[in-house]
Amino acid sequence: MAQLAVATPAVGRLRSSNARSRRIVDRIATAALWIASSLVVLLLLLFIGYEFVRGASAISWHFLTGSPTAGEAGGGIGPLIFNSFYILILTLLFTVPISVCAGMFLQEYAVGGRFKAIVQFSAESLATVPSIVMGLFGLLVFVSAFHWHFTAIGGALTLTLLNLPAMMRVTQEALAGVPATYREASMGLGATKWQTVLKVILPSAIGPLTTGVVLVSGRIFGETAALIYTAGASVSYGRSAYDLNPFHTAETLAVGLYQVHREALVPDVDRIANGSALVLLVMVLVFNVIARVVGRQLTVRFTGKA
Amino acid sequence: MMTESQSVPLESLANKMKIEDLNIFYGSFQAMKHANLDVPDRHVMALIGPSGCGKSTFLRALNRMHDLTPGTRVEGKVTLDGIDIYAPTIDPVTVRHRIGMVFQRPNPFPKSIFENVVYGPKIHGETNGKRLAEIAEKSLRAAALWDEVKDRLNRSALDLSGGQQQRLCIARVLAVEPEVILMDEPASALDPIATSKIEDLIGELKKDYTVIIVTHSMQQAARISDFTSFFLLGELIEVGTTSDIFTRPKDKRTEDYITGRYG
Repeated sequence: MAQLAVATPAVGRLRSSNARSRRIVDRIATAALWIASSLVVLLLLLFIGYEFVRGASAISWHFLTGSPTAGEAGGGIGPLIFNSFYILILTLLFTVPISVCAGMFLQEYAVGGRFKAIVQFSAESLATVPSIVMGLFGLLVFVSAFHWHFTAIGGALTLTLLNLPAMMRVTQEALAGVPATYREASMGLGATKWQTVLKVILPSAIGPLTTGVVLVSGRIFGETAALIYTAGASVSYGRSAYDLNPFHTAETLAVGLYQVHREALVPDVDRIANGSALVLLVMVLVFNVIARVVGRQLTVRFTGKA
Repeated sequence: MMTESQSVPLESLANKMKIEDLNIFYGSFQAMKHANLDVPDRHVMALIGPSGCGKSTFLRALNRMHDLTPGTRVEGKVTLDGIDIYAPTIDPVTVRHRIGMVFQRPNPFPKSIFENVVYGPKIHGETNGKRLAEIAEKSLRAAALWDEVKDRLNRSALDLSGGQQQRLCIARVLAVEPEVILMDEPASALDPIATSKIEDLIGELKKDYTVIIVTHSMQQAARISDFTSFFLLGELIEVGTTSDIFTRPKDKRTEDYITGRYG
């Protein structure tokens, strides 16, 4: 009865002036959030537009495929683009299997164990190491101690160390997003843990996993500090332009961009820098779009879900 | 609807499963206390009781699903055809092969209808495509879903309605040819028409399978089960033929519940 007595005046408040001001605040909030989101898109478009205006004139077939020159104008960035992809693929080859397995272990197997806490803590600590420190570590280990000198593989291994924690995190989150009911259903049918993980959980997580690989790839593609002292900053010494030997020096596009302003003796430094920046940007964007499409198609293929 | 078996006393039937002094703990909380139950072969046993009474907890102990939840401890004896399923030599995977489970919410895999049904047979080693197709048809027919999906077996199971999804989940369980089927409120997320289809199906299934079903609906228990167990506050209070439980309960607490005094 007492509740009814309290509830009755509330009916009278349906037309209160308070509703009007709350509606206004609601609209303002919606607008503010919309503006913030639009700002992100606008910034990206501005950035791309700026790079286009500055770099477009440098782009030519010769620039994209030709080799850098020493001392004279007209050099290209072909081998640098090649090296970027080469080191990216090498790095993914190491990073993806290790981190997916480790993430899978943490998410699906190690439930609340001591070992899980240790692995988790190690990964988080590894994630906070700045890339230049990781680069110097690579220099000490792969370049000096192993006597490999500057090599593509040394760079790739350094990048692996740098990106393992992020990729592991991505795996864990992708697997955590798979509904627990799938696990129950599979185990309830008499599947083993491994069968459940392999046939139900991983296929269901393939979309977010692919997206994670893309994000990490973007970082690998743009990484400089970890590569300068490991993969090296030259393409011309003791190797051909397009070199598949992982034990040769391999300057990437991002490292090249950093180096060209610092050390290059060519007269057309600005042209090369602006062109390289545009190519780097466009490649990362294209890479993102392609991998997104692939991620979506994998999801459809493995889960039948559009 | 009175079936013949409802007049037969529980003691006179062959047991499929026998539960003795079952205790279940979530950490230090005891969710099930000293439960004893005989489950007759090829009948429907309903588990009823108010929310939180432990009936689902009890059910999940019967195919060792609690093994998947850290911090849960099961004590006591659960036998299937006289074999203790909690014995150290028993692999829980084989237990779940023989004792299937249908969950509260339909949980088809995000795969095609066909792949859902043949998932069990495949993981148990069946690779012959023709054989798998036969199993799929047989299971979908038994789950009364075949006519609705036979032309779109390669479509995603997630495109089906909730009721169809739940029958698909039942087909998926039937495909591994279990002996006992556990159902945890299988119709609670469904509309009345889908519910009645599931109930009809359960009536068919008991010809070949032992069905143990948790339900929060007393009417449902009365409609579909031969025997009923009443749970309250982590205890199994009373077991009997469904007609006895609903018309002549022996325990005061059972009577209070079925006459709607709580729950």
